[in-house]
Order: sequence, then C-alpha cells, then structure tokens
Amino acid sequence: MPTELIRILISLVAFAAAVGLIALVMVWVERKVCGHIQRRPGPYEVGPWGLLQPLADALKLMGKQLVMPDQADPFLYWLAPILVFVPVLLLYLPLPVGDGLYALDINLGVLLIIAFAGFTGLSMILGGWAQNNKYALLGAARTVSQSVAYEIPMLLSVLAVCFVSGSLNMAAVVKEQGTWPWNWNVMTQPLAFVIYIVSALGETNRAPFDLPEAESELTAGYHTEYSGMGFGMFFLAEYANMIVVASVATVLFLGGWQGPVLPGPLWFLLKVSLLVLLFVFFRWTYPRVRFDQLLNINWKWLMPLAVANLALTAFFVKVAQYAFVK
Amino acid sequence: MTRNADMEQVAGDFYAENFAKDASEGSLILNLGPQHPSTHGVLRVLVELDGEYVLRAEPVIGYLHRMHEKMAEVKTAAQYIPNMGRVDYGHAIAWNWAFVGAVERLAGIEVPPRAEYVRVITCELNRIASHLLWWGAYLLDLGAFTPIMYAFDDREKILDILQSPTGARLTFSYFRIGGVARDLDEDCVKAIREFIPWMRSRLPMYKEFVSDNIILRRRIEGVGVFEPDLCRRYGATGPVSRGSGLAYDVRRDEPYSVYPKLDFVVPTSDLMDARGRYDVRMEEMAQSLNIIESCLDQMPEGDTLVKGAPKPSWKVPKGETYFAVEGGRGKIGVHLVSDGGKNMYRVKLRSPSYSNLSLFAEASRGTLLADAVAILGSLDLIIPEIDR
Amino acid sequence: MAELKNLFDGLSLDYLAACDYAKTGQSLLAFVPAGTLVAAAKRLLADGWHLEDIGALDCVEGYVVSYHFAHYERPGRVTVRALAAHDKPELPSIAGVYGGAEWHEREVRDFHGVVFAGNPNFVPLLLDPDMAECFPLRKDEKTRMKAREILEAGEALFVRPSFTLMTPDAPAGGDAAAAKA
Repeated sequence: MPTELIRILISLVAFAAAVGLIALVMVWVERKVCGHIQRRPGPYEVGPWGLLQPLADALKLMGKQLVMPDQADPFLYWLAPILVFVPVLLLYLPLPVGDGLYALDINLGVLLIIAFAGFTGLSMILGGWAQNNKYALLGAARTVSQSVAYEIPMLLSVLAVCFVSGSLNMAAVVKEQGTWPWNWNVMTQPLAFVIYIVSALGETNRAPFDLPEAESELTAGYHTEYSGMGFGMFFLAEYANMIVVASVATVLFLGGWQGPVLPGPLWFLLKVSLLVLLFVFFRWTYPRVRFDQLLNINWKWLMPLAVANLALTAFFVKVAQYAFVK
Repeated sequence: MTRNADMEQVAGDFYAENFAKDASEGSLILNLGPQHPSTHGVLRVLVELDGEYVLRAEPVIGYLHRMHEKMAEVKTAAQYIPNMGRVDYGHAIAWNWAFVGAVERLAGIEVPPRAEYVRVITCELNRIASHLLWWGAYLLDLGAFTPIMYAFDDREKILDILQSPTGARLTFSYFRIGGVARDLDEDCVKAIREFIPWMRSRLPMYKEFVSDNIILRRRIEGVGVFEPDLCRRYGATGPVSRGSGLAYDVRRDEPYSVYPKLDFVVPTSDLMDARGRYDVRMEEMAQSLNIIESCLDQMPEGDTLVKGAPKPSWKVPKGETYFAVEGGRGKIGVHLVSDGGKNMYRVKLRSPSYSNLSLFAEASRGTLLADAVAILGSLDLIIPEIDR
Repeated sequence: MAELKNLFDGLSLDYLAACDYAKTGQSLLAFVPAGTLVAAAKRLLADGWHLEDIGALDCVEGYVVSYHFAHYERPGRVTVRALAAHDKPELPSIAGVYGGAEWHEREVRDFHGVVFAGNPNFVPLLLDPDMAECFPLRKDEKTRMKAREILEAGEALFVRPSFTLMTPDAPAGGDAAAAKA
C-alpha cells in the first residue's frame, strides 16, 4: 500500500508540473494559432517566437494583488479557485500515457474521471456565488445547467465505448484497440466520438459553448471578480480540463498510446495535441451559441442520439456475444 | 440574492432606483454598462431579468454627453466643423456633410462639381469603414472573435486612403463651407481604384465564412423583429428601417449633392430581424463601392472649394433651415437657426443612433439576455453620437 | 403638395404655411396650440409620418418647440411648432403617440426645461440628475431673438387672427400677448 501511495504522490507532483508546463505551452499555442487565424503574428516579443510570453503572463498574474469584493464570502471565494484546480489533477491519475505508464491502475478509471469532472462545475458555482456579483451569479447558473446537461450525453457516449471494450479500465480499453487507425474505437463508434467531442466542448466551457463566461453578455461570467492568481487558477483549470477531455478522447476513441513506429507516449501526446488544436480552431472561428440553443442541442439531439447509440451498441455487443462466442 | 438585497446595493444611483421602482417580485435587476463589453463604449442598459429573460430594459445614456449644441452657440460656423468629426467617430464625414450642407443651404452657397464628387467618394468610403467597424464589433458581440481582425484590416486600407486628403483617420473635419479642404490627388485616386476590386473580393469571402455560418444564422434570424410600425413610432432610419422593409434612404428620397446622377440600389430586407439589418449593411458596402466607382468615372476636373469661400469669421446669414444626409446609421439631420450674428443661434443635431436606440426598450421586452445583446448590436450604436 | 397642406384639416391650428423645401428643408410648417399637439401627432402617425426630432428654441416670446416629421415613402418634411411660455413652460407629451418622443422630450427638458405633461418616464436623459435645474441652452434676455426674426415664416396658408408670433410687422408690445396665445 505505501508503494501505491508513493506512486500516487510522485505522479501527482509530476502531473502538476506537467499540467503547468503544458498549460503554458497551450496558452502560447492558442495565442499563436489565434494570431495566425486572424492574420497577425501573435506573441513574438518575449523569448524566441514569443515562447516565454505565457511565462511572463503567469508571473504577472502571480505578482498581482488579490482583490476580493466587499461583500463576498471570503471562505468560498478563495476555496473556489483551489477547488477548481485540485480535482483536475486527480483526473490525470488513471490516464495511461504509455504502455504501463500510469499512476493508478484501477478498474473503474473511466468512472473516476467522470465523477471528478463534476467538481469543476461545482467550484465554478461556488466561485460564482461567493463573489456577490450578478454577472458571476448568472454565469454560475449557466454553469449548473450546462454541466448537468452535457455530462449525460458524454457519459452515454463513453459507456458505449466501454460496452465495446468490455472494461472500465482505461489501459484495458487502449489495449483492446490496435496499432492502426482502423483498429481504433472511433471506427466502430463514430457517433459516440462526435457526441463526446461536442459534449466535451460543453463540459469545458469552450467556444462555441463558452456561455458561463460569455464575455459580451456577462463580462467574464463566473470569474468576473477574480483577479491575479484567483483568475489564473480558473484559467489554468480550463486548459487542464481541455487536456483531460482530449486525453480521455484519445484513450477511448483514438487508440491511446497505440501507433506505428513512434514510441507510445509520443503518440499519445500527438493525438491529444491534435484534439486540443481542434478545440482552439473552434474557438477562433465560430460565434457563440445562445443559451437555449445550447440546451436544445443537448437535450434534443445529443441525448437521444447518445441513448440510441448506446442501445444499439448494447444490442450488437450482446448479439455478437451469442452469435460468435458461443 | 433577493430583490431587496439588490435594492440595498443599487441604492444611491438615481436611474437604478427609478428603474427598480417598477420591478416585479423576484426579478433580478442587472446593470449592463456603462463599462461592458457589448455596449461599445459607455452605454448603460438597466435590465430586469427573470432568469435569462429580459422583462424590461431601459437604456441610460449621457455618459459621453459633451453638449455639442451648446458649443455651437459659442463658435462660428467654420469653427464648428471639427465638432462634427467628433459626434460620430464611425461615420464622421457624413456629420461634416450634414452641418456644412445646412450652412450652404441657408447661405445659398453653390459647391463646385468636383467638390461634390469628392464629397461623395470620401463619404462613401467612410460609410464602408463604418459598416466594417459595425460588422467586426457585432460579431464580437455574438462571440466570434476573428472577423473584427479582418474588418479592421480592410478598414485600415480605407483610413490610409482617407488620411492623405483629410489629414485624419477617425475624427475627420474635411469638409469646408463651399467645398472640401483638399482635392484628391492622383495617388489617392489610384489607391481608391485599387481598393474597390480588393473590397469586392473580400465581401463574398465574408459571406461564405461568416454570414452563412449556421451558428450566426441561428443567433440573428428571427431575433429582434421590428415591425415597420415600430420603426415609424420611434423614427428609426438607416439600415434599421431598411432592414424592416422600409425603402427609405435620404440619398435617394431627399436627394442632395450628385446622388441623383449616380446609379445605386437602396437595399432592403423584408425579414425585419437582426438578419435583415445585417444583410442590408453587407449589401450597402457593395453599393457604396459602386457609387465610388461611378463617381471616379464621372468626376470632372476643377476646383474643390468655391471661389471666395467663407473665412472662419464668416457669419451665417439670418434664417433657419433643416438639412439631412444619410449616415452609416441612418438619417443625420441638422436644424440650423442663425440670427446673423458671429455665432449660430441654435444648432439642433438629429442623430440616427439616438432614435434607433430609443426603440430598444420596447423591442427587447421578453427576449433572452443574449438576444438583447444581439439586438443592441444590430442597431449599430455609436455612443458619442447618441449622447452628442 | 396640394395634399400635404390639407394634412391638418379640421384641427385647430394657429398658423399654417408652405415652405420652400430646397431652401429651408421643410415643406409644411404648422404652429399648433398646446391643446392640438397630440391630435396633430395622431394625424401625422396615421398618415405614415415618422418623428425625426424635437428641439426647442429660446425666443423672446417663449420656447418654440419644433417637431420635425418625415415620411418613409414620400419626400418632404413637416414641422409642427408649439410655444411654451417662459414662466410656465409646459406642453402635453406626444410620447403616447410616438414612442420615440419620450427621449426627445426628455432631452428638451434637459436643455431648455420645458415640461412635457404625460411623458411616461420624465427624468433627466442626457444631463446628470443632479443638474436638474440647470438648463444650458436657455438664453438670457440680451441674446434672445424674436421668433419672427430668425424662424422661417413660409408662405402663410392660414393664420389665426390672434396669433402674432410670425406676423412680420407685429405691433409694439404685442409679444407678451403672443406668448399667452
């Protein structure tokens, strides 16, 4: 047991460092990509190709005074930015980055991730409530309905994959898939993949579903009053969450670390990066949907499709079991 | 957060109290602005929300009020032209024109033909720049961050062109009583000629990538339907009324300058919603390009300022007149009354955004908050013009 | 034009004149007593005119409040004017007919202090509420001009005998009487 604990601790520290680093790189990538989409160079002053810009930004955020509104609830106000980030780190525990390269080998890895993912929404609600700001409150209210709504189709699409793989263990799901793209789950479960990606955007509040922080309506939504690192934590958590959902998609649908020639972790990183890049592209090319449309997409399209997909999958898995295994 | 708790917090502000007076039980009163990303400056809108629905909205204006009409009483006519460039930073040249045109109408000053063409060209270029500014900012309101960068790229080209004859990039005070300050030189004409095909190639791209986007269409189609009757009661003009099917354009219906000689279409839309207003503005940019092109073809040689043009100390003759031009946002009107003295007796500025915004309170009732933002953006507001 | 001048038929007017549009930017000019204002607005709305603006002018005789109307389908501009006395500047509001008038009337109140009875939300609009008693566009006795000297009279079609505001050769001392009319 102690070895297990030490393993978890070491990997937590490693993940914290990795997430911090990756988030910095992603901020840079996002700003660069956004810049090029908008026909401008993006950051290029600090460091080579502006690589150190996110670091400078982070230092600036850390150096800023932490301000709390007059009538805010101090405990919840400071709890929220911490609470938003810590569970994100836990989400990385069951993720297999390479063959045998994971912190926690548990049979319910998928379940763990989905359970902890709910924390992000909770901390946004707490933060939004604690600020005693109406925009933040509206943002928090949007977060509630959005997270609750989008978690369901996400869960259903993940379940469909687990039915096919016959396991909730992430490493097992990866091993079930082969080296080549046509062996991956995305080929057998394309609908689940699309549903997952759309729900993931909704879950992580990324454009075009960034309603909890819809700038033109709610100024900054749930984190309106946060400054300095308070805001920085929410910001970091958004990117960390993005990596998590992209990693889960990689594990479940894109064969995880599996791939020809290159070593496993590299394949994993490559697939995650591509998905994250896709999210970045979405953000800088689409307008924002309206709140009722967001919920309509979920309840009227994603949900029925996900349910149908799950039912069909379950049916075929059973049929296959009886027809071929017996 | 109950209503009473809100009341305590907003207490002290006259408008918030005045607004909260009629609030219904359990509603949330939200203050949008005067510093808010979607209010494009310092507009403040008080909204009463029931969840995400707007029960009531009231624009509170005056945060950028500079009392231009009082300034007119302490300036001579020529000294007042720079004020006009500052009323509406989006389409400053149209305001130049409205005031200068009123003075010319009252004093009976004939403008040389070339100057008329130069006026039309610069005014239309400025109109395209104004619409591009709206387009980018509107999509920003709707959560699309990228179009404004492209819009500003094009707008930059226009400002570069206008910079050479006017000497300004935003707050133009280019028109003079009896003409314009400087002629368009050869380089400038060449740059305009090059700009026209460039802009024509950009518009289809904007349509393909932005206007036809499904999310955008869902955000603006059927949102903010203004019946013609609503436009009439509030005096809405410009793309707002044309988007409601009212084919009214001062350039055609109260013709001034050389517009009757120019061939252009007044685009309208029967959709009456934000989409209609969007389409009208996009089409107007294409029409403005046509106008500029035919102006360049027709433009005669000659003076751009009338002989013996009024000096700064010149006095406007006694009398009154009303002169209107079509600005980027609608009808710009100047009601000028002069007692023949050094300064003008009264200048009343009719700004189109002011009338267009006044219908917002009625039009936003019962919409979603996001729709209210979409409606506000579709009015194309320039706050300094509203507040004057 | 023949039709336009019959626009206010049946209403109690003080003065009606046709103006030279090319010179004054107005086609029809009407002075109406305060009591006719709302009826005139209703007539204009029914005929499809929209409100352009409302502006006041501080003259010797009082505040001349001008309502400018234009039409979406027809050319021309109708100016309706009403006089509000200096000592008690009050006119009925037309905001019930033209919703857009609400703001214009509040603006006139800010600048000239004319009170529009019946305006649904008669609070300061452009100026700060703390400035409620400061009316920047009011003129002092020295600078005030007589309305007939600066305003367009047009080609008079109808003049109520008691109405002397626009009469060119007004008898001396007739101003006070005109203000009350």
